[in-house]
Amino acid sequence: MIRVENLTKKYAGGEAVRGISFSVEKGEVVGFLGPNGAGKSTTMRILTGFLPATDGQIEVAGAKLPEESLLVRQRIGYMPENVPLYPEMRVEEFLEYRGRLKRVARKDITERVGLVLDQCGLSDVRKKIIGTLSKGFRQRVGLADALIHNPPLLILDEPTAGLDPHQIRSFRELIKDLGRDRTILLSTHILSEVEMVCRRAIIINRGKIEASDTLANLAKRVQSGALQIEVKADPVGAREKLVKLSEVGGVVELNRVGEWVSFEVTALPGKDIRGEVDSLIKREQWPLRDFRREKARLEDVFVELTQE
Amino acid sequence: MTRAFWTLWKREAGAILLSPIAWVLLTCMALINGFSFSQCVAYLGQGVRELTVMQIYFYIFHFWFLLIILVPILTMRLFSEEYKTGTIEMLLTAPVRDGDVILSKFAGALSFYLLLWIPSLLGLAVFQVVTHQAVPVAWIPLGLSYLMVTLVGMLYLSIGLFTSVLSKNQAVSAMLSFTIIALLFFTGFLSYLVRDPGWREVLTYIFTLEQMRSFSAGQFDSRPVVFYLSGTIFFLCLTQRVMANRTLKG
Repeated sequence: MIRVENLTKKYAGGEAVRGISFSVEKGEVVGFLGPNGAGKSTTMRILTGFLPATDGQIEVAGAKLPEESLLVRQRIGYMPENVPLYPEMRVEEFLEYRGRLKRVARKDITERVGLVLDQCGLSDVRKKIIGTLSKGFRQRVGLADALIHNPPLLILDEPTAGLDPHQIRSFRELIKDLGRDRTILLSTHILSEVEMVCRRAIIINRGKIEASDTLANLAKRVQSGALQIEVKADPVGAREKLVKLSEVGGVVELNRVGEWVSFEVTALPGKDIRGEVDSLIKREQWPLRDFRREKARLEDVFVELTQE
Repeated sequence: MTRAFWTLWKREAGAILLSPIAWVLLTCMALINGFSFSQCVAYLGQGVRELTVMQIYFYIFHFWFLLIILVPILTMRLFSEEYKTGTIEMLLTAPVRDGDVILSKFAGALSFYLLLWIPSLLGLAVFQVVTHQAVPVAWIPLGLSYLMVTLVGMLYLSIGLFTSVLSKNQAVSAMLSFTIIALLFFTGFLSYLVRDPGWREVLTYIFTLEQMRSFSAGQFDSRPVVFYLSGTIFFLCLTQRVMANRTLKG
């Protein structure tokens, strides 16, 4: 659906995107992750034909950019960051206008508008003036606009930015639903969003792609998932013995309850310390009542890959 | 014209009519036009016989003052606002050609501009009624005068459209177009001062006031028509170039 090779974008002040390559297959829901200013929006603007690339080959929805820009724009639904809309128009009127611009057949317009109003939960505000709508509703209008011509590919730039927790939740559900029958590329810097909605993530930092993989594989890359244990032992002695283990990166004492003490043991990157810690406990014959590993979260992956 | 053009034109014209500035402009135009028209009539009442009401009306200072001020106010928001609020991104990621966007904005502004001159026509109609048709309507001078108003408007609006694509700031756009339009208008007056006949001829070619004088007297000249049309096309193309370069993004 999207194929990008060696994409570079130079501004007068420097490079926003430095020779990135990635692809998104049909039917995938992919998260485009990165800290603020990493080049996410620039890349998306290039994919939608809004900005010209300085260099690189781009193919979106079966058409080449910039040569077939009109065709690309016809086949994608794009929701820009901050969702700019015309404040003086009514919701329904705006969607009809956008539908006509996006070449929806005359006879289908009313039906399509009704459908996306329903889909995005806008039926109650269809007659309202956009300028008077809350941020959440405006965001929905933006999504309805992206959907009006029923495109096979959706490109959403920070679709949940600025929403309250309820709105974020319902918006995610909506995106999940949409992902069932179309391809979605969605940018965000909220990691839980990607974990909930996407199957794959592309992490970009300072104009370069740091990782592009399924969420499960990404988590494997950094085994910073810490091990929590609770044992009956001398706190100081036990800590020393844990620290001496060859693959352990650090040990933090969490709390003490009577004779029981609990530790968080972190592994060196890429190591699995469960076996090592287990044999230590057996050797020392410490009574044990808790032994669990926190799964590596996307957040850990993200921080590790994008830190300065 | 494509379907996209009509869709965009409808939205442009709608946006102008829904903005308060449109109604303020319409009111001010009607007021100043009425005032200037009553002055014309008062002047004629003093027994002037060598000029018609139309010649005085289209030659009077108020008329030009209005024209020069009005266009920048009308065009300043066309692109500047879209760049400032970011709606340009939404507009240009829809499958529309840059040309359709530019032409529809131009046509939208031109439509409203023409609407602004309707009160002046009413003034002339009232004059006919009040004078009990003593003077028959001179259709040719009337038609030519409004043709000239349209042509001048087209050039000035295209200048305004061009300066609007240059800046996100409406005030900057308005000031720029005002400067270009005023310079263009006042350069014509140099033909009174220049002695070299070659230069004088060049200057009369762009001397709007003199061209208007001959048009309102019913004398058609094809040179101004070519000048204003080619000027309009020039500035529309320039607008397209700037838009294609997308230098304003950030």
